Amino acid sequence: MGRERLSCTGEMVDDNTVLIQRTLRSGQKIHYDGNVVIIGDVNPGAEVVATGNIIVMGAVRGVVHAGAGGNEKAMVLAFRLEPTQLRIAGHITRPPDGQDLKPEQPEIARIKNGVVTIEIYNGERQG
Amino acid sequence: MGEVIVVTSGKGGVGKTTTTANLGAGLAAHGHRVALVDADIGLRNLDVVLGLENRIVYDITDVTGGHCRLRQALIKDKRFEGLFLLPAAQTKDKTAVSPDQMKALCEELRQEFDYVIIDCPAGIEQGFRNAIAGADKAIVVTTPEVAAVRDADRIIGLLEASELRDPKLIINRIRPRMVRHGDMMSIEDIIDILAIDLLGVVPEDEAVVISTNRGEPVVQDERSRSGQAYRNIVRRIKGEQVPMMKLEEGGLMSRFLRRMMGLS
Repeated sequence: MGRERLSCTGEMVDDNTVLIQRTLRSGQKIHYDGNVVIIGDVNPGAEVVATGNIIVMGAVRGVVHAGAGGNEKAMVLAFRLEPTQLRIAGHITRPPDGQDLKPEQPEIARIKNGVVTIEIYNGERQG
Repeated sequence: MGEVIVVTSGKGGVGKTTTTANLGAGLAAHGHRVALVDADIGLRNLDVVLGLENRIVYDITDVTGGHCRLRQALIKDKRFEGLFLLPAAQTKDKTAVSPDQMKALCEELRQEFDYVIIDCPAGIEQGFRNAIAGADKAIVVTTPEVAAVRDADRIIGLLEASELRDPKLIINRIRPRMVRHGDMMSIEDIIDILAIDLLGVVPEDEAVVISTNRGEPVVQDERSRSGQAYRNIVRRIKGEQVPMMKLEEGGLMSRFLRRMMGLS
């Protein structure tokens, strides 16, 4: 993935990216100074922390933290975004209690107007 | 040369010991020579479930410590020809055996037996590491509870890290009616998270409680559903293609029967 594609505002983002080709199971943790791409799932009890973006080609059910160094432009993109907890930079969010909604399409989480916003990912870059 | 299979789960109380006893008895009923090893040192149970408690003279730590020969410690089962138990010590703890000693023990056992089945203790500490040290294959037992599935997931990760690839899954104590009403995790929910091959599903059954307390494996109970489930699992371990048992009318299993058959 090139720099331009990753950067929604045209600024350079960290081009340091690691690819993980397996499912992260409970108790397993990835901590990376850069972007993380996972081909597999992030199961409940697993944790992914990245200073850049996190892209999961699978289901996110554990804890993900993008922009861990304070990068408010970081985002989390997953085929199925149903995390235990989702953090971007200093923002910590969790799914609302009592709602058991199963996403059926890829979703993207990022900070918009100071709040973590989750939208359906339609494949196009949006500012 | 026999196969060494460890039965593990992470969480306690999901049915590792019951599964070990029934798979052992079931394989022995097919004419195989089977050794069951109780690796739960300090909390031994397998001898009780098999009804062999009163025959123990030597235990696993006596063998690894060189106080007796392996053959002296092996207890012959009273019902199944070819079924033997190597009991755990009750008065010691997990540090009484090392992973290297377990490896050597498994090597020795596999020379004489077709199957060596190790009953792993709960947890992920030394008892677990001992139990998996000499194994070629792993069976992960879970129940349809979130906590049990979480621990099973953790265990599968640890097994993979120890080069024990492709563990097989047994889902124990499922209650089809609760699943149908959405009150219990379904088989599909569990497979979705764990993503490993399903070896079998054992329904919740009072016959297990009765047989466990009597020290008679339920696998020999021709009329019980759980016994049938264990007999099917035994045949799958032997390499036979056995369709999944219908847990109840209504085709609950049909979708994932197809998955088992490899059509998805």
